[in-house]
Amino acid sequence: MATQDVSPHIPNEHAELSLLDRVWQNGRGIFGWLSVTTHHAIGMRYIVTAFVMLLLGGIEALLVRIQLAHSNNTFLGPDRYNEIFTTHGTTMMFLFAVPVMEGMAIYLVPMMCGTRNVAFPRLNAFGYWLYLGGCLFLYWGVFTNAAPDMGWFAYPPLSGPQFTPGKRTDIWAQMITFTEVSALCVATELIATIFKMRAPRMSLNRIPLFVWSILVQSFMTIFAMPAIVIASSYLLSDRTVATHFVNPAEGGDPILYQHVFWFFGHPEVYIIFIPALGFVSAIVTAHSRRAIVGYPAMVLSLIANGFIAFGLWVHHMFATGLPQIGEAYFTASSMMIAVTSGIQIFCWLATLWSGKVRLTTALHFVYGFLVIFVLGGLTGVVLASVPLDLQVHDTFFVVAHFHYVLIGGALFPLFGALYHWYPKMTGRMMSERLGKINFWFLFIGFNLTFFPMHILGLHGMPRRVYTYGPEMGWDNLNLLATIGAFIIAIGGILFLVNVFWSRRHGRIAGNNPWEADSLEWAAASPPKNYNFEFLPVATSRYPLWVAPESEPASLSKAKTQPDRAVVTGLRNDRREVLVTTLMDAEPHHRYVLPGSSIWPFITAICVSIGFIGSVFNPWYIISGSIISGLALLGWFWPRKLLELEP
Amino acid sequence: MELAPKTLDVSHLEPFDISSQAPLWWGQVLIACIEGTMFCLLIAAFLYTRLRVDVWPLPGDQFPHLTLPTLALIPLILSAVGSFIASEGAKRNDRSRMIFGLTLNLVLAAIFFAMRIVEWHSLNFNWKADIQGSYVWAFLGLHSFDVVGDLVFTLVLIFCVVSGRYGEKQRLGVHVDSVVWYFLVAIWIPIYLAIYWGPKLLESQ
Repeated sequence: MATQDVSPHIPNEHAELSLLDRVWQNGRGIFGWLSVTTHHAIGMRYIVTAFVMLLLGGIEALLVRIQLAHSNNTFLGPDRYNEIFTTHGTTMMFLFAVPVMEGMAIYLVPMMCGTRNVAFPRLNAFGYWLYLGGCLFLYWGVFTNAAPDMGWFAYPPLSGPQFTPGKRTDIWAQMITFTEVSALCVATELIATIFKMRAPRMSLNRIPLFVWSILVQSFMTIFAMPAIVIASSYLLSDRTVATHFVNPAEGGDPILYQHVFWFFGHPEVYIIFIPALGFVSAIVTAHSRRAIVGYPAMVLSLIANGFIAFGLWVHHMFATGLPQIGEAYFTASSMMIAVTSGIQIFCWLATLWSGKVRLTTALHFVYGFLVIFVLGGLTGVVLASVPLDLQVHDTFFVVAHFHYVLIGGALFPLFGALYHWYPKMTGRMMSERLGKINFWFLFIGFNLTFFPMHILGLHGMPRRVYTYGPEMGWDNLNLLATIGAFIIAIGGILFLVNVFWSRRHGRIAGNNPWEADSLEWAAASPPKNYNFEFLPVATSRYPLWVAPESEPASLSKAKTQPDRAVVTGLRNDRREVLVTTLMDAEPHHRYVLPGSSIWPFITAICVSIGFIGSVFNPWYIISGSIISGLALLGWFWPRKLLELEP
Repeated sequence: MELAPKTLDVSHLEPFDISSQAPLWWGQVLIACIEGTMFCLLIAAFLYTRLRVDVWPLPGDQFPHLTLPTLALIPLILSAVGSFIASEGAKRNDRSRMIFGLTLNLVLAAIFFAMRIVEWHSLNFNWKADIQGSYVWAFLGLHSFDVVGDLVFTLVLIFCVVSGRYGEKQRLGVHVDSVVWYFLVAIWIPIYLAIYWGPKLLESQ
C-alpha cells in the first residue's frame, strides 16, 4: 500500500481531538477508577504497587542484615528469621520483580508499537486486580502471624503437611496462583499486541529491541508459568485434600517437585532479566545517539536466551544426586547462556564506543549494570560446574551470585529505565544531579553488601542460618555487608525523593527530551489516553530518526522530524485501532477495542473469593468457579450491538 | 528520505475480521498453549512418577477400564465437526449453520461427558487412595473443568445466536470457541493414552 504525499486532511482538527478525548476518557469517582482499562493507568498501577512491594521486601532485607551483623545476635529469633527471609525472597521474586517488568511493558509496548492500547484492555485490568489480590493475601498472612517460613521455593517434605502445619505454606502457594494468572494475562495480551497491532510497516526487523525483549519474555511466561501452576497445585492439594503428588509414603516424589519448580524457576529469572536487557538496549541507543550495533545478533541472542532458559533448570539441583550424563548436559547448557549474554554485552559496548555518548543518569545505571552483571555472570559460570557447585551449594556464595545477576541484571536497568522514561510518564525531567548521587549510593552500597558474601560463602557460611558463632570468623565481613545494605537503603530513599520532588519541580520535558528514536517519544508527555492523534507509520527501524535506509541511522544524520508518516481513516468516535499482519505489519483490518468496564474488577473479586476460600475449605473451588463463571457471563454479555455496526 | 508529511489511509479496510487475523484468535491460541504446556508437563510428571515406583497401582486399586473411555472418543472427535460447521457459519454470517454447528457440538460433547461421568463413577479409588488416584483424578478433574466451561460458553452462544442478540463480536466468539474445542479434543488424546494405556504398557515390559 503506497503512502500519498498529502497532509493529513483534517476538516475540524479541534473537534476531532475533543472527540478522541471524550471517547478515551476514563470514568470519574471510585466506580470510574475501578473500571479503568487504559494501558497507562494499569501499567502505572503495576509499577506503583510493585514499588510498595520493593519497599516491604527491602525492609525485610534490612531486618535480615541487622540480624546477621554480628555473631550470636538475638535481634530476630530463628522462627521469625525464617519468616522474614522467606517473605523477602517471595516478595522480591513474585510481587516485585516480575510485576514491575510487566508494568513497564504494559505502559511502553503499545506506545512503542504505535497503537492506542493493549489488545485485550479488560483482561489487562483483570490481571492487575489479581496481582493486587496476591499482594494483599500474602501480607495479610504476614501481618496475622502466618508468614511463609520454608524458603521461597518451598521444597517438600519441609513444606508438606507433616512438617509445616497451619496455613503458612497454603497462603504462599495460593499467592503464587494469583500472580501466575496475572502474569499469564499480561503475557497473552502483550504477544497479541506485538503480533497484531504494530504500526504499519513495523516489520519484524524494525521492532524496537525493548519490544523484542518483551515478546521473548511473554513467550517464556506462557511456557514456564504452567510449571509453577503444577508445583503450587501439588503442594496445595497434598496439603488441603490429601493427594499424594509429592508424598513419598504413597508413591509420590519430592524430587519431582524440585524438577517442576525449577522448570519454572529458572526461566523465571530470565523473565525478570530479559526485559531489563530491553531497557539497556533502549537507553544505550538513545543516549549514545546512534543505531545499535548488531541488531540481528541482539534479536537472535534474546530469542536464544529464551530457548536455552528452558534447558538448564537442573543446575539448581546438582546436589540431589543426578546421573552423570545429566550433570554434564546441564553444565554445558548452563555455560551456553554466557555466549548469548556475551554477544549482547559486546554489542552494547560497541554501540557506546562508537556513539556520541551523553553521560546521563540513565547511562550511569547501564554502566553499573555492565559491571555488576558481568561479575554475576562469571560466578554463574562457576556455579554451572558441578564440582564447584557442590562446594558452594547453599552457601552465601550463591546468595552473592543471584543478587549480582538479579540486582545488577534487572534492578539497575530498571532504575535506568525509570530515569529514561520518567519524562514520558510525567511530563517532567528527574533531577540529574540527585540521580547521579542516587546511582553512586546504590552502586557502592550494592558492592559493599554483596561482594563480601562471595568470600563468606567460600569460607563456608551457609544460607538461611539465623546466626553463627564468633569462632567462625565471619563477623567483619557480615558487618560490612550490613553497612552496605543501609547505604543501598539511603540510595533507595534518594530515588524516591527524586521521584516526588521532580513530579512537582522537575524541568518540563516536552515530547522527546532525549531526542530518542522510538515511537513512544512521538506521543505527548504525559501521553493522552489514546496515545497518538494519528497512528504513526514506522518508516524505519528508528522511526524518529530520519535517515536513508541504506545508511545506519543516527541522530547526526537528521534532526528528529515532526512531519512523519501517519495513518488516517480510523474512526475517532469509538476506540478503533488498526490490526496489521504479523510479519510485515501491512494494514489488515480495523478493530474496536472495548472501553471502560467494571466487570474485570468484579470477576477478579469472585476469582479471589475462590482462591482464598479454597485455602481454608476445598469446596470453595466449586463455589468460586460458579461465581467466577457468572461474573464472566456479565463480562461477555452482548450489550451495545449498535456499536458493532460498521 | 521521507520528509514531506505522508498519510496512509485505512478507511477502506473492514471494521472487523473473523479469521486468524483477529487479535482474539491469537489470544485464544495462546491460552491453548498455556493449558497445553500444563497438560504436557503433567503427563511427563505422571510417567516420571510411574517409572520411579515398582508397584503400580497400589494393591486394592484397579487400573482404569478401557472400553468406555475408548468408545467415548467417537462422540468427542465428531463434536469437533460441529465446531467446524459453526465457525464456518460465523465467518459467512450464516445463522442457521451456526445454530446447527453449535448444537451438534453441544450434544455430542454432552454425550462424551456423560460417558466420562459413568466411567469416572466406576473407578474404585479416589484421589486420596494412592499416587495413581491423585493423577487420574487430577487429569479428569482439570479436563472436565475446561469441558464444562466450554459447554456453558457454547450454550450462551447458542442463546445469543437463536435470540438474535449477536453481532460481529459474538460471531468472532463462535469462531474462537471452535479453537477452544479443537484444543480440548486434541489434548484429551495424549491424556487418554497416558492414563489408560501408559501404565498398562509399562507393566507388560
